[in-house]
Amino acid sequence: MITFSIDGREVQSPENLMLVDAAKYGDVEIPVFCYEPKLGNPVGACRMCLVEIEGIPKLQTGCSTPVKDGMVVHTQNTRVHEAQEAVVEFLLINHPLDCPVCDKGGECPLQDISFGWGGGRSRFIEPKRHFQKPLELSPLIAIDRERCILCYRCVRYSQEVAEDYQLVLQERGAASYVATFDGHPYVAPFSGNIIELCPVGALTSRPYRFRARPWDIEGSGSVCTMCPGQCNVTFTVRDDRVLRVLQRDNAEVDDGWLCDRGRFAYQAIHVDERVTSPMVRGQDGQLVPVSWDRALSEAAAGLTAAGSAVGALAGSGTTNEEGFLVQRIVREALGSRDLDSQRAPVSRDALLAISDPALQATVPDLEFAHAVLVLDTEPVDDMAILDLRIRKGVRRNHVKLAIASARPSSLDANAAASVRFAPGAGPAFAAELVSAAKGEPSSDDARSIVALLREAGEDVVILASERVGVALAALADALGLRDRAGAGLLVVPSSANGRGLREVGFLPDAGPGLSPVAEPGRHAGQIAEAAATGDITALWLLGIDPLRDLPYRLRWEQALSRAATVIAHTNFLTEGIRDHATVVFPAEAYAEKDGTLTHPDGRLQRVRPAIGHSGAGRYGWQVLTDLGTRVGLHVPRVLTSGIALAQLAQAVPFYAGITQDEIGGRGIRWQERPAASAFPAPAPASVNVSPAPRVGPSAPASGLRLGTFRSIWASPEVEHSPALAFLRPRQKIEMAPSDADRLGLGDGQRVLVSNNGTQVSATVALRQAIPAGSVFLQDGLAEDSANVLTGSIVEVRRA
Amino acid sequence: MNKLLFKDIDEPGLNTIDVYRRRGGYEQLRRALSMPREAVLNELLASGLRGRGGAGFAMGKKISFLPKGALDIYLCCNADESEPGTFKDRELMQKNPHMLIEGIIIAAYAAGANKSFIYIRGEYVLQADILDAAVLEAERAGFLGENILGSDHRLSLVVHRGAGAYICGEETALLDSLEGKRGNPRLKPPFPANQGLYQGPTLINNVETLATVPAIMGMGGDAYAKLGTETSTGTKLVSVSGHVKRPGNYEIELGVSSREIIYGLAGGPPEGRSVKLWFPGGSSSPVLTGDDLDLAYDFDTMAKAGSMLGSGAIIVVDDQTSVVDVAYKTAYFYRHESCGKCTPCREGTNWTVKMLERMKAGEATPMDLDIIASVCDNIIGHCLCVLGDAMAMPVGSMVAKFRDEFEEYIEARRQESYLGTADPEPELALIQGAVA
Amino acid sequence: MAEVRRFEHGSRVPGWDASVDLRKDPAGVPDPATTPVPAELRAEIEAQMAKYPDFRSAALPALAAVQRHHGWCSPEGIEQAACVMRLTPGYLTAVATFYDMFDTVPTGRNRVYVCTNISCSLRGADELCHRIEQLTADDADIQVKHFECLGACDIAPMVSVNGIYVGPVELDEVDELIDDVRNDRDPLPRKQLRLRPSADTLPMGDGQ
Repeated sequence: MITFSIDGREVQSPENLMLVDAAKYGDVEIPVFCYEPKLGNPVGACRMCLVEIEGIPKLQTGCSTPVKDGMVVHTQNTRVHEAQEAVVEFLLINHPLDCPVCDKGGECPLQDISFGWGGGRSRFIEPKRHFQKPLELSPLIAIDRERCILCYRCVRYSQEVAEDYQLVLQERGAASYVATFDGHPYVAPFSGNIIELCPVGALTSRPYRFRARPWDIEGSGSVCTMCPGQCNVTFTVRDDRVLRVLQRDNAEVDDGWLCDRGRFAYQAIHVDERVTSPMVRGQDGQLVPVSWDRALSEAAAGLTAAGSAVGALAGSGTTNEEGFLVQRIVREALGSRDLDSQRAPVSRDALLAISDPALQATVPDLEFAHAVLVLDTEPVDDMAILDLRIRKGVRRNHVKLAIASARPSSLDANAAASVRFAPGAGPAFAAELVSAAKGEPSSDDARSIVALLREAGEDVVILASERVGVALAALADALGLRDRAGAGLLVVPSSANGRGLREVGFLPDAGPGLSPVAEPGRHAGQIAEAAATGDITALWLLGIDPLRDLPYRLRWEQALSRAATVIAHTNFLTEGIRDHATVVFPAEAYAEKDGTLTHPDGRLQRVRPAIGHSGAGRYGWQVLTDLGTRVGLHVPRVLTSGIALAQLAQAVPFYAGITQDEIGGRGIRWQERPAASAFPAPAPASVNVSPAPRVGPSAPASGLRLGTFRSIWASPEVEHSPALAFLRPRQKIEMAPSDADRLGLGDGQRVLVSNNGTQVSATVALRQAIPAGSVFLQDGLAEDSANVLTGSIVEVRRA
Repeated sequence: MNKLLFKDIDEPGLNTIDVYRRRGGYEQLRRALSMPREAVLNELLASGLRGRGGAGFAMGKKISFLPKGALDIYLCCNADESEPGTFKDRELMQKNPHMLIEGIIIAAYAAGANKSFIYIRGEYVLQADILDAAVLEAERAGFLGENILGSDHRLSLVVHRGAGAYICGEETALLDSLEGKRGNPRLKPPFPANQGLYQGPTLINNVETLATVPAIMGMGGDAYAKLGTETSTGTKLVSVSGHVKRPGNYEIELGVSSREIIYGLAGGPPEGRSVKLWFPGGSSSPVLTGDDLDLAYDFDTMAKAGSMLGSGAIIVVDDQTSVVDVAYKTAYFYRHESCGKCTPCREGTNWTVKMLERMKAGEATPMDLDIIASVCDNIIGHCLCVLGDAMAMPVGSMVAKFRDEFEEYIEARRQESYLGTADPEPELALIQGAVA
Repeated sequence: MAEVRRFEHGSRVPGWDASVDLRKDPAGVPDPATTPVPAELRAEIEAQMAKYPDFRSAALPALAAVQRHHGWCSPEGIEQAACVMRLTPGYLTAVATFYDMFDTVPTGRNRVYVCTNISCSLRGADELCHRIEQLTADDADIQVKHFECLGACDIAPMVSVNGIYVGPVELDEVDELIDDVRNDRDPLPRKQLRLRPSADTLPMGDGQ
């Protein structure tokens, strides 16, 4: 801490803080427009923060002057006031002052600063600029160039945070304006952040346009449950409706940014298509709304009838409490062992190894590590917000980034090294990395990656898909990451609360707290098989539609058709549920939920209700408790979400004693609590990595190797949000130009992709970066989803 | 006077390496490379050579600010000569490119730089072509590249062409432009000496400054310092233009009287006219009047007179010209060239032009002069770089020194306009491409 | 009393009133698989990229190459350069629109820049420019641009014809000058700057 003087008062602050921030330690506000530390170094463009520093003849910008011991600063003398008034006058020269019809009015920094620091008059009598307004910048964002004060924030964001370089300043001087190349819309996974960055009403949200005034609304903090990123958000609520989602800066989780799905998919909360009342399938085969009592008893009857022949699956935003209650009902009341929350099976031993607290990295570690290895995952699709975090680390802290994936990554341009393996060969490549790290014979690619990580330094973070499995722990150990702060594993689960669900025991081979089970049950793929053959007669689906979310679509169609009872907790009637569910419970939208989630780095976070339930909706834990009681589960009544959490905390040793108060608004990592020592030690013998023969990305003997991925936009929420509907993905097949040439195909052509008698149609998208011999299709689509195909080699022909 | 820069400037073929070497070219480089770096730097320090680009900062001192060590140090030659009225570097580069290249190599040696660039404005096509050819010649002759003349000094030199933006003459904007970006000035600190091109330590000097280096090495720093005045040493190229009989570049010893330059060398204004006002150092210097003609032409005298020597470009305006037109042309130029990054410059230049346009259209009142003066005051010292000041200072000085004429003009135009006798399409129609 | 005239206002800057076309795809880095680049242009840009420690420095030379190749910095040309440089076309557009010498709208192949800055206008540049504009008004092949100081005030009023400086240009020489431009002849050879001796070496009284 140093001492400096501001406006005649001695103030203590940390040294080298920028003056605008240091001034806050003395409760002095220095106005700013362009200053935003999240965008990188200050640019000093708006000149709003001019202050006088004794000993320096010119006024200095407070945003770019680090505070030093003994500095004497004035922000309130005539000279500074005149400069501030001058800047406000300049800024307002061409500003239309149309606050009464501006969405920003009431929460506008320009309004506040003009009022607080402006002269209150203008001598500018020439005509102001008038332009068409608002114009579309994208389907999501409107741009009003009259209002723009050219503070550079949005273009700096596009260039230095999102790094999409789509939004730029064109022309020069007073003619400068914010625009894109040749009238292309600014569409990018994180484009919506510029709305919040804009300090005036120049960039506004089109869905929010004219929906509310700041005095009509209230903010309600919660967590987005649409992907494992679990970004912290504030819902803007008016009259019990969510009208907007804003970031709620949490450096440990999201760094204050949101993806466009998180920002705009709230619209799906208030659409007619949402399921808001319980339904059962009537005699005519149609789902009809019924009372809770009817639905609960039908569900109870179905479950009881099936007994141990029940298979349960959970996904998306299912909370820890819901997952915990369901696994109890399934295990204790129904006597079934068949429940799963993973897309591809990862054994308990493997989970224990990769979840070991001694090997866990945190989200901020991505930013400060010496090196980051992204292994078999595409952050922007799988855990979107990390994409920005990794870019930030590379850009600001020169983190060495290595990427090993089957499909070219959007981070390749930032990587020090990128290697490709064949689709599905992630675990095999990880095993190679282990060999390379141990100095055993390995491939060149693996050796080069390991060499790169080692050269960068000791702190290595491995961001990997869950499906890579046990090799991750071996790799972390081989790289010496155990017990190293700032290094370790960050494992991306297959669903938003994947880590929480497995830790509360929603697994075939592990109970709450990853405790061992006497006899393992069936994993998801086996459940499908058993249901298709009639060994399982009831399917219980929490936030999951197997036809959308799991592989082997045709097998699942058989399974769902054959099962006598299909109970679904859902927001939308997606194909599998619409066609096969016998009982449908309205799931809560995330703004209605009350519960906890576990972030992939172990942070427990609270999802808090911002609005009441739509229609006949009820709390998830309440519905499950009712159902549990009806099927004979004998547990103390759950009356509040707090009680649900308490019961769960009792069952999971390493969550012991955790309460909603302790989690609070920012969450807490369980690894940082004393109870973490109760984490079961992995059986060392079980961590056995046998290097499987790796399949390179080279072309197979015949046909093309199929890889699949799920786009950030492939979700029912996107489909049902009117504003995002334009992003709804359509199937396309990404292929190398050489393969296309060989097959006589061109960009944009319709093709049929087939194998084993299954086929989907797609549009050809040529990509230079796709390794020859491989093609990629999307999963999670309503139609032509890649999970229709059953093999790894496909034929492509013109449709 | 002994010419240093313009010695036999019109010698045929001087732009080729053969002629240049026959006349003793590159000998100073050979001598410099045989000396320790510090000795070369000491010569430059002793010469007292002040930057010829506009700011007038001592060149040797600038080199000594560079951090020592194994870092990549860059040298950028600022050949983005865009200050209105300035055309001296153009003639130097066109006619004696090797003198500049030799100067760059010696300066780079003194600074420990091993990558250098000449940022030349894109409009100078001929000069850039000549430089390209000269660089190639110098490379072939072993003056550029690895182990220059057997020493451990290595240097690459790239001629980089700009594309038409005055602001790129500002040193940090030049760096951004050279990095392939829009030419926006950067916030200082960090100064280029610490974090310049590609974030590395960078020395940036004007063409004339660097071209003087071989002459300094030839005659010795101390001897050079004896030329000119005590604080403005050496000779200087002066570009004289506007209302003079013989516009052109003249090499003078600093400290001669301004009258000697304007009347003696450039022939003064046409017969029967007198000097109404003159810019002593490019269009961004506050104007001086006919009363100031006997001031000595050097850095300090000009500063004391409330103006500056700047790039050494004298623009003479005679008594037949309206000061409003000059103010308008000046403001219009800076509005066109403002990069738009910081508020006071972007908005202030635009506003000033609009007020002057209104004046010319007969819709202004003397109160507008107060507003112009106040806007100029509000720009000065509040901007990110000096471009805003570069408009506010001369325009402000014109309003202050010629207020009566402005007021008469306003009244005359106002009457014309209101009585309907004015030309139905006044100058306003000529303002093309204007920003609303 | 006469009506007080008001200034024409509204958008005089291309782009200000432009909305995006929502049917277009966002403009990321162009994929080489779908962006054909003329071999000559590619070679030129790649050679420029190799000259600098950071390839981005080649942005200006690359845009200049695009302009030579396509006649102007067309969206197509910018996309090609972006594809070679692995940048977004937006980045290059931002750069191109900053600099006066890059044309981001189609233009005549002959570029005639008339300096109308202080020194030249003191010597009649405004009339000169007006005359040249009148003469070339319906010639789509010639782009006439008011230019700020071109750094040749010694030959004021002056004109840069496709990079060749000529001056001082008298009003009665304009016809000849434009005729030279139209017929791809060397413009006003006797008035070209490259042939002009230095004022400093001329005997007194011989200046033009």
